[in-house]
Amino acid sequence: MRTGVDERKARFERLVGGCHRDLYRYAAWLCRDPGVAEVVLQEALLRAWKSLDGLKQDDAAKAWLLTIVRRENARYFASHPPPALDIHALSPAQEAMLAAEDDVELEDLRRAIMKLEDGYREPLLLQVLLGHSCNEIAEIMGIKPGAVLTRLHRARNRLREAVVQGAGLAAVAGQSDGL
Amino acid sequence: MDCEAYRQAIGADPRGGFEGAAEHTAGCAACRALTAELLALDERIARALAIDAPAPALPDLEMAAGGAVVELAPRRRRPSAPVWLALAAGLALVAVFALRGLTPGDAYHDQLAGEVLAHMDHEQSSRVVTTIPVSNTALDEVLHAKVSAFDTGGPIVSYAQSCVINGHIVPHLVVQGRTGPITVILLPDENVEDVIPLSGESVHGFILPAESGGVAIIGQREEQMPEVGEVGERVVDSVKWSL
Repeated sequence: MRTGVDERKARFERLVGGCHRDLYRYAAWLCRDPGVAEVVLQEALLRAWKSLDGLKQDDAAKAWLLTIVRRENARYFASHPPPALDIHALSPAQEAMLAAEDDVELEDLRRAIMKLEDGYREPLLLQVLLGHSCNEIAEIMGIKPGAVLTRLHRARNRLREAVVQGAGLAAVAGQSDGL
Repeated sequence: MDCEAYRQAIGADPRGGFEGAAEHTAGCAACRALTAELLALDERIARALAIDAPAPALPDLEMAAGGAVVELAPRRRRPSAPVWLALAAGLALVAVFALRGLTPGDAYHDQLAGEVLAHMDHEQSSRVVTTIPVSNTALDEVLHAKVSAFDTGGPIVSYAQSCVINGHIVPHLVVQGRTGPITVILLPDENVEDVIPLSGESVHGFILPAESGGVAIIGQREEQMPEVGEVGERVVDSVKWSL
């Protein structure tokens, strides 16, 4: 017979197991360092475990966990201000994060995403990686929906420029002359 | 909706989930082409964001559930000393290390210092400010093969890993000091006969002789050095190898 703790643990593992990969990717792109992302994610999961009883609906688990990861990331960088990003002098772990076997264009695009300012990169993550609507992104980030639209538009514009400048010109830019 | 408004909106959401999108593209070939381009770009972005993720690794939930505090190896009772005495000891150590730093170390010591500093660069993410200790299980796993007793002087141990330094698997710990995380690397297999100063790009500390081995104690800032000295003194004073 299962104890209460076992059931709680099983519930937590089920909820986290369903979105662990997305949580890690979100953390990694937020902090731009896979090593730090693992630390942030572990701390976030510990916090989530401690407050699991406050989660009333399992359907809302992913959004709830994302919020905890986001806060944990902010907490981490409050005490560890990140050094200015030098895209030409990344750590081996950052280089490994960007690496895409046999796909130089994809690697270039990852590099361009890493170079985006936090305020542009995060809404893009939330929309493209995690499937959130603009209104949901506005709520998560605590900004107005109009600001989300502007940031998403600018983020894509920058990535498009990066792709156009790189080897992916023919594959992605097509015939159009811009936004 | 005119082309300019459409382009603004489609740039924010290429799936076109906004009012008037379908009507506009039905009569505008240029905007249809732009939409196709942006959808292709989004596919590439989605692929780019899908970096490899490690296998799910949940934290030690049982430890977290109980809110347990990690008990370190049995602590040797010491007469309590006033804080100023500990600080003075720390400062004295710093002075010794500074003087030691003026003289060239031998090749073995230099190599060991280089190995420790290189390892610090590699594991930057271990130095996190946190109130969450590692579990007793994790700590025991890292320590049991090498150490029978040691004492950090009170701070919680927030990180414990077995790492390879100079060809030996050694315990790498991080304790939460008053002024920030302090790294403690136990080096029972080394032959440390003298204090070895450590000075990296963003870390400072020293390797201290302890029993037949050594202990590396490293802080992140020079201002942390008195506390690093305190922790170092206590660890060296208490460490017992189980080799």
